Amino acid sequence: MSDKLTVSMTINGHTYTADCEPRLTLADFIRHGCGLTGTHLGCEQGVCGACTIIVDGRTVRACLVLAVQADGSTITTVEGLARGDELNPLQEAFWANHGLQCGFCTPGMLMSATEFLKANPEPTAEEVRECLSGNLCRCTGYDSIVKSVLDAAQKLRA
Amino acid sequence: MTVIGERVPRSDGQTKVSGEAIYGVDYAEPGMLWGALLRSPVSAGRITRLDTTAAAAMPGVHAVLTAADAPDVHAGWVLRDQRLFATDAVRYEGQPIAAVAADTLAQARAAAAAIVLEIEPLPAVVDLVRAMAPDSPLVHPGWESYVPAAGPDFPRRGNIAAECIADPPGVDEAFARAHRVISDEFVAQRQYQAYIEPKSAVGIFRDGRYTVHTAHQFPYNVRDRVSQFLDVRPSAVRVVGHTIGGGFGAKLDASLEPYAALLSKVVGGSAVKLVNTRTEDLLTCPCRENALTRLRSAVDADGNILARELEVIADNGAYSGEMPWLASIALHCARGVYRCGPTRVVSRLMYTNTAPTGAFRGVNGTYLYHAVERHMDHIATELGLDRRDYRLQQLITDGAEMPNGQVLADAGILREGFDAVESVAPWAELQAGRRPYRGIGIGAAWWVTNPMPGTAVVKLHEDGTVAVITAATDNGSGAVSMGVTQIVAERLGIPPTDVFVTMPDTDVAGFDAGSQGSRTTRIVGKASQLAADEVVEKLRGVAAGLLEAAADDLEVADGTVRVKGVPGNSIPIAEVAVAATNTVGPVQGTGSFVTPFPDFNPGCATGLMFPSFPTPTYHVHLAEVEIDPVTGNVRVLRYVVAQEVGRVISPDGTYGQVMGGVTQGIGYALHESLRIGEDGRYRERTLESYRLPLATDIPRVEFVPLEHPDPDGPFGAKGVAESPVLLPAAVIANAVSDAIGAPLNHIPIIPEDVLAAIQGSAGDVRSDEEVAP
Ligand code: FES
Ligand code: FES
Repeated sequence: MSDKLTVSMTINGHTYTADCEPRLTLADFIRHGCGLTGTHLGCEQGVCGACTIIVDGRTVRACLVLAVQADGSTITTVEGLARGDELNPLQEAFWANHGLQCGFCTPGMLMSATEFLKANPEPTAEEVRECLSGNLCRCTGYDSIVKSVLDAAQKLRA
Repeated sequence: MTVIGERVPRSDGQTKVSGEAIYGVDYAEPGMLWGALLRSPVSAGRITRLDTTAAAAMPGVHAVLTAADAPDVHAGWVLRDQRLFATDAVRYEGQPIAAVAADTLAQARAAAAAIVLEIEPLPAVVDLVRAMAPDSPLVHPGWESYVPAAGPDFPRRGNIAAECIADPPGVDEAFARAHRVISDEFVAQRQYQAYIEPKSAVGIFRDGRYTVHTAHQFPYNVRDRVSQFLDVRPSAVRVVGHTIGGGFGAKLDASLEPYAALLSKVVGGSAVKLVNTRTEDLLTCPCRENALTRLRSAVDADGNILARELEVIADNGAYSGEMPWLASIALHCARGVYRCGPTRVVSRLMYTNTAPTGAFRGVNGTYLYHAVERHMDHIATELGLDRRDYRLQQLITDGAEMPNGQVLADAGILREGFDAVESVAPWAELQAGRRPYRGIGIGAAWWVTNPMPGTAVVKLHEDGTVAVITAATDNGSGAVSMGVTQIVAERLGIPPTDVFVTMPDTDVAGFDAGSQGSRTTRIVGKASQLAADEVVEKLRGVAAGLLEAAADDLEVADGTVRVKGVPGNSIPIAEVAVAATNTVGPVQGTGSFVTPFPDFNPGCATGLMFPSFPTPTYHVHLAEVEIDPVTGNVRVLRYVVAQEVGRVISPDGTYGQVMGGVTQGIGYALHESLRIGEDGRYRERTLESYRLPLATDIPRVEFVPLEHPDPDGPFGAKGVAESPVLLPAAVIANAVSDAIGAPLNHIPIIPEDVLAAIQGSAGDVRSDEEVAP
């Protein structure tokens, strides 16, 4: 049996400390260790983007990172976007524009779009599509997701 | 104020954007164990050694099960041809051979890997045509011993898992006197549903009953399959549904559920959870079947189709699932939506040593319409006719009789569909604006709204809100979170936010035939509407006493019960609810609904039949594509849909289904493909190699809803969700063939095929420039 390592990180403003197997992925640490199941796993291979989270300001695929690599970092998951019951403008926009169907891709889409809008507050539809081309959605055909991101961008600028 | 046809926020939106929603894969129980399956690494073989001793002794392991530990029964949706675990033969890669329960997932997987398994490989039956040959090895040497799950047996023999044949008189005579006979052969590859949430299940054996938690399209079907596999009566199984991360047909039959249930029983009742890895999911998913379709038409000089022959050979995989009765869909699609003389249809479903195929949105229709609509282009081109004009000339009209004898009273809607597409994308303009390597394609279809039964209870709370208790599932479409919710809100005059719909639980809600065939808004919506009507009646009865008015003079609207025409004379529903609870008892209503099958001719064919298409809908699609002559890549520039929907209940939901369905169809047309190797194993094994459409691939679909309300549907609704996937392969293949001037009859249309076709037809390419060699 491999020796467990102690890791500690700040997720959505809370500090989580735990002993974990060296090979535990950050995604499993977040989902099982912290009970934050909003970070979804669609492929565990870095392809689908459903597990996208923000680590120290940059999007990361939580299935490709080990928990130990994230020791000491500051993380935002989808559960950290809203303030209490109050959804943030991007979440509101996804809901209002039918930017989700089954919703399984949605957390990853939201996290990718969060990082993107920070750097590109006034994006074109093509730029949004480019940004989201690493996140798979099997339900929507993407159009409503693009619309949601553009709508959020506009609201955030106002 | 009406909420029908209005944009309303979906009731599950908050939980889905906040990350709170608990999907099947998220569900957990205290003290839960984890399971893993040992699956066959080969497609065909004989198990010569299976030793679980070492695995059972590994740390954390609670149980290791094989066929010897499962009831000695066969199970199946249509034909009982399947065992829970392989006994001596393995018939497809990924077939379960053993199951493990352990404290952690890692321990369970390690123990499954430690099971000693030796298999003597056998040649795999893969090729559909060779599988039919008399000297082909049989996938099921014991096929004769299998029995249908219900009803009489149906035509099947050897590797032919099901056969449906229509052979009306006059076909050969018509071919003999034809001006021209036009023949084509089409090949379609498998398509993976590729929902982003992999399958999972949690099983619990407690109090002598099984409870299964799963994210499923059809909980009652899971109940039935678990009961078959575990040899208990259906009521001994309770299925509880959770938020579902997509299904598209692949989550209509049981998968991991019976294993989770049996493991829980063997370990003494602790909950056991199984989750597929993406590769397990892909390898064992009941994907859209690959098929070979041959079409021959006898035509006269004007292009009238005097007779037709359609032969389709489709891949059942190693076990039957739902497929045997879907083989008859060929009968309904053989003519497409065009006039045609006597039509011979031979549809065969072949057992092979590959993963069992199953339902995928637009079952069987995607490749059948691809064949029929490519063939229509071929006839038009041969006869020198414009492809759109030719279709309009041959289009069926009101009162058309289909090969099964079903009469389509409203088939004239098709003409409206062509006109609607024309108004958005005029054919002549598109033709005139032609550029090199650009092409256009058009096609049309009719389709079914699944008629199977559903039921709902509408329960009034004392605060005037309601719960809708149903086993229906919202697979993401919004059929429940918007459609059913809006229908109940409308009927009761309350806001949609005051309507709460339960998640499915087979112990609580009555039978529901699942999220399939676009049925939920129509069938469950109608059942809920009837249930709400009963609530309205009861409210009026109680309010009559409170308002001192005749019940007949009362209406339920704007959150009140009020005297018609005297808006001031009203009481809030909540007050009536409280009064009712304390006088006549709590108020609730029940509704059930099923659409009868339209009349058909039972003698039209032999074989297991999907007899007719209830609540038919009509569809016209157009695509414009551009080809990169250097890479062979095809880009869809424009995509136009005109679709009969009865009545739009939820505009976002309707458009979402059209956009999402067309996107799956574009993937199917151009790149999605589970290729099967000679050894019966898939070449694609991950989402990296199985290429799904991306945000940058797909244009916004231009959509025109056609509304001819159905008097039986809730507020006129017909099915919407399934059919948008039917035609993209057809019209894109037509557009690419148009662009190149050469027929492309295989789907997906991959760049290599495009480049080969460009080279092969270099002289014909409608190009102003010299074509690169
Ligand atoms: S689960 Fe991490 S990218 Fe798919
Ligand atoms: S909404 Fe289902 S995968 Fe995107």
